[in-house]
Amino acid sequence: MGTLAQQLINGISLGSVYALIAVGYSLVYSILLFSNFAHGGFLVIGGYICYYTLTVLGNNIWVAGGLSLLGAGIAAVLTERIAYKPIRERTNITLYLLIASLGMSIVIENIFVIVAGGRFRALPPVIPTNPVHLFGLTTTSAFDLLSLVVAFVFLTGLQLFIVKSKWGLAIRAAAFDLKTAGLMGINVNLLISIVFFVAGMLAAVGGIFLSVRYTLYPQLGGITIKAFVAAVVGGLGSLPGAVVGSLILGLAEMLTAGFISSQLRDLVVFSLLVITLLVKPTGLFGKKPTEKV
Amino acid sequence: MAEPLLSVQNLSVTYGVIRALHGVSMEVREGEIVCVIGANGAGKSTLLNAVMGVVRRESGEVIFDGKPLPRRSYQVVAQGVSLVPEGRRIFSPLTVHENLMIGAFPRKDMRQIEEDLEWVYGLFPRLQERKDQYAGTLSGGEQQMLAIGRALMSRPRLLLLDEPSLGLAPILIRDIFKELKRINGEGVTILLVEQNARQALMLSNRGYVLQTGRIVLQGRSQDLLVNPDVTAAYLGKLKK
Repeated sequence: MGTLAQQLINGISLGSVYALIAVGYSLVYSILLFSNFAHGGFLVIGGYICYYTLTVLGNNIWVAGGLSLLGAGIAAVLTERIAYKPIRERTNITLYLLIASLGMSIVIENIFVIVAGGRFRALPPVIPTNPVHLFGLTTTSAFDLLSLVVAFVFLTGLQLFIVKSKWGLAIRAAAFDLKTAGLMGINVNLLISIVFFVAGMLAAVGGIFLSVRYTLYPQLGGITIKAFVAAVVGGLGSLPGAVVGSLILGLAEMLTAGFISSQLRDLVVFSLLVITLLVKPTGLFGKKPTEKV
Repeated sequence: MAEPLLSVQNLSVTYGVIRALHGVSMEVREGEIVCVIGANGAGKSTLLNAVMGVVRRESGEVIFDGKPLPRRSYQVVAQGVSLVPEGRRIFSPLTVHENLMIGAFPRKDMRQIEEDLEWVYGLFPRLQERKDQYAGTLSGGEQQMLAIGRALMSRPRLLLLDEPSLGLAPILIRDIFKELKRINGEGVTILLVEQNARQALMLSNRGYVLQTGRIVLQGRSQDLLVNPDVTAAYLGKLKK
């Protein structure tokens, strides 16, 4: 019983970090209709900015976190401007964007291999990881609870931004029909930059937590493949879908690790992807592709 | 004579190797309703899209209120021109109210926006009844009203309409055109392109006939309605 509760909390906690990354995939997909595989790079950029700020400027997680979010957001906007904008202004074929994003993910990863070196780094101990007893029922780590709370705060913030703000409304309109959104007096390039900035920021939050969980290295971005699977399971382009898909994935992973074998967790994750693609390719909350022209 | 509100001079547009407009010149004066009629593929939509900056203007000039119109759509809207696109293009997953608010996107003054919302709801009471419904659940006629209302929410001086009668029953077309007359009466200049030539000419003050990317005929709408070339090509036989 204790183990089950513990694994459930771990699963939801891991899932909530996936969700921070998965919503970034979904946001970008909803507007530009391609899977941005450079997204993992934004996470790594956020992680390294946090690491270097902590080691150089001292152990203030608020400053480091803030700079990390800002830096990853700007990096995401620059990536879009440099690699995607010239393509999307010339063609409607999103496959080119997907290929460019694969290229950018390799570029970002290797910039860090050259500049920071390939070795694994641990963030200074600014995020507590000590065990916490929950109502005498079970034991979990403060880190898991913290990542759950932080992810919840950021996802709620995103939801409020999308539903309540003027630019959020514009993003929802653009997600349905980007071209017509431009006719409404919306500066489409600015809107796309905002979307990338938000996606990059959320990736950085995920990146900080993943660096604590698994240590930081240039290939850490590879882990976003799981967040991508979560976004597909939930339905690419749908934000609630990305969150639900991430929780399902996190739980499946942790329950497999806890009760079957930790070596099987990736097998379960990718089986979920295969099953989704076979049974309901649009995912749980996905839009029908016919809605988009 | 006063300077026209919109003046298109020698405008050409090409798609790849195909030239859609060959040096089109036309103008719209303040307060007018002007129509451009022509067959499918004549370049009517291209003309409006070029004015809006949706398609690249290859050569020629588009002057609005004495100044060249910018090349990006959102800047064109900010100058006071808005388009009701072909096929309505409403945002179906958003509510009616949200669709209208998107139309007001470039504007800041919330009080003015609220006033214009009331104005649009006054023009189309059906939209007010359905303001919290998803736009995708509206009927075709209501969607057209919404598309027009959405374009009006930017408070345009010039309203462009691309085939507003498309896919609507004749009785609905009459209603929509009656509303356009009313909107024009409230100070909005209108340029519409239509395949439905008779309705468009009956509504408008002046008309242009576009054929394979060229203006071939222009004049007062009442004259075009009885012009033998126009009646033969676009109006069919007049009922006695």
